[in-house]
Amino acid sequence: MIRPRGRMLNTVCSVAHHHFNPSSSLVLPTTTTRSLSLGQPLLQAAKQPPAVVPDNRVELFIDDKRVLCEPGTTVLQAAAMVGVEIPRFCYHDRLSIAGNCRMCLVEVEKSVKPVASCAMPVMKGMRVKTNSVATRKAREGVMEFLLMNHPLDCPICDQAGECDLQDQSMMFGNDRSRFTDIKFEGKRAVEDKNIGPLVKTIMTRCIHCTRCIRFASEVAGVDDLGTTGRGGDMQVGTYVEKLFASELSGNVIDLCPVGALTSKPYAFTARPWEIRKCETVDVMDALGSNIVVNTRGGEVMRVLPRPNEDVNEEWISDKTRFAYDGLKRQRLTLPMLKNAQGVLEPVDWEAALTGIAAKVSRVEGREIAALVGGLCDVESLVVLKDLLNRLGCETLCTEEAFPMNAAGTDVRSNYLLNTKITGVEEADLVILIGTNIRFEAPVLNARIRKAYLHNNLRVAVVGKKTDLHYEYDHVGDTIQALEQLANGEHKLSKDLAKAKKPMIIVGSSSLQDADGAAILANAIVLADKLKSGSSSGSSDHDWKVLNVLHRHAGQVGALDVGYTPGAGKIKELKPRVLYMLGADAGVVTRKDLAADAFVIYQGHHGDAGAEIADAVLPGAAYTEKSATYVNTEGRAQRANVAVTPPGMAREDWKILRALSEFIPGASLPYEKLEDVRHRMADIAPHLLRYGAVEEANYFKQSHALVHGSKRPSHSGRALAPPQTVLEDFYMTDSISRASRTMAKCIQAARHHKTTKYSVS
Amino acid sequence: MSSLASASGLAPRVAGTMIRREVTPLLSSSKREVRLRVLNLYRSWYRQIPHILMDYDVPVDQDKCRAKLKEIFMANRDVKDIRAIDMLVAKGQMELRETIEVWKQKTHFMAFFRDSVQVKKTDFMSKFLDQ
Amino acid sequence: MIRTVPSRLPLSVSSSVVPASSGVWQNGPRRHQGTAAAAAPAKPKKTKFGPLKDEDRIFTNLYGRHDWKLKGAMARGDWYKTKEILLKGHEWILNEVKKSGLRGRGGAGFPSGMKWSFMNKPSDGRPKYLVVNADEGEPGTCKDREIMRHDPHKLLEGCLIAGKAMHARACYIYIRGEFYNEASNLQVAVKEAYDAGLIGKNACGSGYDYDIFVFRGAGAYICGEETALIESLEGKQGKPRLKPPFPADIGLFGCPTTVANVETVAVAPAICRRSGEWFASFGRERNSGTKLFCISGHVNTPVTVEEEMSIPLKELIERHAGGVTGGWDNLLGIIPGGSSVPLLPKSTCETVLMDFDALSAVQSGLGTAAVIVINKQADIIKCIARLLEFYQHESCGQCTPCREGTGWLNKIMWRFVEGNAKPEEIDMIWELSKQIEGHTICALGDAAAWPVQGLVRHYRPAIEERIREFQEKTSAGNSPPQLKRAASV
Repeated sequence: MIRPRGRMLNTVCSVAHHHFNPSSSLVLPTTTTRSLSLGQPLLQAAKQPPAVVPDNRVELFIDDKRVLCEPGTTVLQAAAMVGVEIPRFCYHDRLSIAGNCRMCLVEVEKSVKPVASCAMPVMKGMRVKTNSVATRKAREGVMEFLLMNHPLDCPICDQAGECDLQDQSMMFGNDRSRFTDIKFEGKRAVEDKNIGPLVKTIMTRCIHCTRCIRFASEVAGVDDLGTTGRGGDMQVGTYVEKLFASELSGNVIDLCPVGALTSKPYAFTARPWEIRKCETVDVMDALGSNIVVNTRGGEVMRVLPRPNEDVNEEWISDKTRFAYDGLKRQRLTLPMLKNAQGVLEPVDWEAALTGIAAKVSRVEGREIAALVGGLCDVESLVVLKDLLNRLGCETLCTEEAFPMNAAGTDVRSNYLLNTKITGVEEADLVILIGTNIRFEAPVLNARIRKAYLHNNLRVAVVGKKTDLHYEYDHVGDTIQALEQLANGEHKLSKDLAKAKKPMIIVGSSSLQDADGAAILANAIVLADKLKSGSSSGSSDHDWKVLNVLHRHAGQVGALDVGYTPGAGKIKELKPRVLYMLGADAGVVTRKDLAADAFVIYQGHHGDAGAEIADAVLPGAAYTEKSATYVNTEGRAQRANVAVTPPGMAREDWKILRALSEFIPGASLPYEKLEDVRHRMADIAPHLLRYGAVEEANYFKQSHALVHGSKRPSHSGRALAPPQTVLEDFYMTDSISRASRTMAKCIQAARHHKTTKYSVS
Repeated sequence: MSSLASASGLAPRVAGTMIRREVTPLLSSSKREVRLRVLNLYRSWYRQIPHILMDYDVPVDQDKCRAKLKEIFMANRDVKDIRAIDMLVAKGQMELRETIEVWKQKTHFMAFFRDSVQVKKTDFMSKFLDQ
Repeated sequence: MIRTVPSRLPLSVSSSVVPASSGVWQNGPRRHQGTAAAAAPAKPKKTKFGPLKDEDRIFTNLYGRHDWKLKGAMARGDWYKTKEILLKGHEWILNEVKKSGLRGRGGAGFPSGMKWSFMNKPSDGRPKYLVVNADEGEPGTCKDREIMRHDPHKLLEGCLIAGKAMHARACYIYIRGEFYNEASNLQVAVKEAYDAGLIGKNACGSGYDYDIFVFRGAGAYICGEETALIESLEGKQGKPRLKPPFPADIGLFGCPTTVANVETVAVAPAICRRSGEWFASFGRERNSGTKLFCISGHVNTPVTVEEEMSIPLKELIERHAGGVTGGWDNLLGIIPGGSSVPLLPKSTCETVLMDFDALSAVQSGLGTAAVIVINKQADIIKCIARLLEFYQHESCGQCTPCREGTGWLNKIMWRFVEGNAKPEEIDMIWELSKQIEGHTICALGDAAAWPVQGLVRHYRPAIEERIREFQEKTSAGNSPPQLKRAASV
């Protein structure tokens, strides 16, 4: 996005933006406006060129600073435009307005009462005083009332140090206490609620801002939270003791302005001021949510979201947030080789690499194969590919499959989420094919729900019926239903064809077996049909219809650098040496290999891959390396080093580089990470354009290949995504499988199903 | 112009002429003088060694100390700048004073005998294996 | 008459709350008087108000001595030529109501004609609704229930006429859950009216389709606040909404809605029949009409009575309620408009007129005109403390100042009752009440603050006396240690 940098006197900088962005669309006060506001003679103003103001803008003054904003903007937002921060508790950008904390009261000239700026729409000529005596008094009063029943337990509160109430009482509160009741009967005490293994509640601290309630019902789509009781007895809770059954539940911890909702796994473990923060990206799903990894003393203490409007707004899923304890358990910390007895034995790096090199050198290059898992970074993928290519090996596969008929993965548009995540907010129809998007990409699902609520987005689903937290048209369970839809024979076909901006999201989980080709081909046919229907009506010819939603963070990167999706080629080859890079899905077993095959596993967890290995090389997890991941949109993002790899583990590309040194004639020329990145840029420059999406093209050509060939046959099976209920969500990769928190979540979700309060 | 420049104290920029910087001496004004200072310092240290060993209970004998003394002095043999030598001498005197007055502790004294730092190899493989 | 409308008027009218010191009405009326006096030809100014003549009474079955059903109501003149009134059109009805100077009877006293005319914006396809606030919960108030149980047809006819005036599609009568008999009678009356073709499709044969629904609340005082009432009607927790948007824009089920008090609606037919001028002839200018006064407390004969507006308070009590128990000199103070308006001391009660402007001039309000008389045998501090307990109990808990503040005020008030307080806490409670007033979403915060303010304003010596007595008592006997220490210093 290009923002206007230069600003002429009295001109309006406006940036069309979906959300309210404080830094955009603001008019800074100029000398003219200031003098006008002070009531200077009009003559002076007349000298200035007339301001170019669109008619619908509303002019108002915040602390005598002139602001122009769209009608419907609230006073609080208008104040943010000129950098005036009004204190608030209940107001949140992404939630509906409650207006009940009353902290944002400001004085408005000619208004008898102070107004709640978070809810008050701007009006022409309004003069808002955010720092007048009346305003300050109102704030102090509200603050005093808030503190009246708020326990003084900051020393044992996990929120202390990052608590809105603490900060704002310092900033805006009174400097002395009037709680000098000579017959003090104690503060209000509220029973804590058990709402699951993730969110800890200390309800006595609650200030009833209702952010969590609004988040649950609006964003997460579960009406689990609400208030009971009245007046001073009002309580926030789940009405009955039950699980807060949402895959986005952890976000209420961030939303809670006080310590009423805190993280259970993080409880009493660290303080915000002793924590180091590392901005990085998440790998638990293919969205690449932006996160901040909080560490202390070389240990990951917690994971928090980092706002990124284009990817995750400011939400992250519970797996992203809480699976970090999996990084500390079941880790591979020492290189291991099988000894004569066939038992893996810890060795030092030199011995391990020598041993592996001896085995690798013994076989011919074409008898070697590589299999990479879903969490691999692009750097290590490139180095592995370079290494094995030097040995003459061309069989490099990913565990995740993708149909290779027609254009396959040769055309990038075939395997990306082409409309991007933000496209959901423009679209008027989303057809989900074979994906339970709620669990495969919870944050994207939240965005679909948002569009469903605010833009009247229509959703249709082909595949198993599951609770997605919004209503949808169920097209059918089977591939036949999809085929009917693609051929325009389905009863919904006509209806759906009316869409101006349709999106089709195909879940990669449904493309794993032989039917994948048929599913994708039908989706492409359907996409073209919808596209031709929509482009006649809409002017947006660049609108892309076909999208693929991946499940693994490393998959798009692997396809971008030329890995073959699916282990089919390995099974055909029966290689004598198999190099597994983080391959933990158990796609290839010993049976698929030659009898005397030597299996090398490199990765961070002792999971399925390490079990069948003859040599184990300890690698680094996503928090431990500077690495590039390409998300399902094709957006390259960089993960940074938050902590060092444990034990003797090394960054993955380094292990491969070191191994190359031991194999005669295969030595790789990379000394530093920059060298690897240069190589990546040679292969695909977009891999280094961090944060940007490299858009795919050649839709027409790749789709022509589909139309040209016969539609692949299929078994007519039902499209059932592997994750259907909440308990399936928590463990999907080697990190989350090692996490105790995730295990507790599964336990809680299973227990929840047995209670009478579970919905589905 | 040139007269102006010289009048204002700037060195005239004439091609071919050497530009000399004149500096004020720290202590010594000639090589002879500074050599004397070095020799005096060496002598003082040399004579003090038996007393130092009496004051400090350290596991070194006089020969070792004398060898170390020579080694430390010889380490700076290539220093030619009189001012730099003056500075080194001053520092050496300070060290000597601190040692004689027992302002140092045993470990401080033994620091003279610490082996020089091993240079780590910076190539990729060494770093990988030694990390 | 040309009305100068203040640029932003609060549309809130509710039975429960009385913004007596609302700036709009402190400034507004005076301005009007000026313009009105200039514009209108000199008319002899009325100086004597009340007693109301029998032929001028609107609620002729207030005491239930006659048949409340359709037959009886028709005999008393209800539903008489309603069709003609409807056929005169909404402009005419609005004009009559405007001429009558009727102000909302629920407490806030907003001019009804103006309020109803807010609904006459061109329709955007959404239906419009009239909601009748029959959630009469204000302590001391018992006027709407009398209308509903003894004269329900007056209300229903009013609903029809008011609905016609604002093009409403339907009317919801939100009746307090505790009013069981009233709801029954009302329901019967609705049935009768439907059966007689007075409401429903082609109401009264006028071609106007109009439905009336009776909805019983579940018993919360706050549901008398108009937006909380709408929420409750929608099936949600009865918690007030933020304004703006006002109900006239987004109200019940997201449609334009007007919430009006039972009494306001019920007098509309009489105004239409007997003309706005007739109604305006009662009471002082801008406070015109007749009004139901509910007199309770320490009077000899507590009563609900229809009287002319602007009747002197003393006359009202002496004439209709048999005087104060123990004689007028035994009077301590009066709450003139239901629990949520500030107290008046005896000196003020001697002369004050019972209307909106006169009472707000003495820093109180007409409210629902529920006159609560307190004589000298009562403990005035305890009376107010009891009110505070009520407000604490009824606070919805949504916004901070009210949720926390009412509890705090209540605690302090009960210590005042005992005397177990420090004198400086009187100033503190005053400040606290100011901290609540005007800072809340709805007017319940104000309503809780005003009784305290009235008490501190007029009865401060009584509280100080109580504190002194308590300290003497405790220091004489087993004095608390901190007091002893204070004495020794």
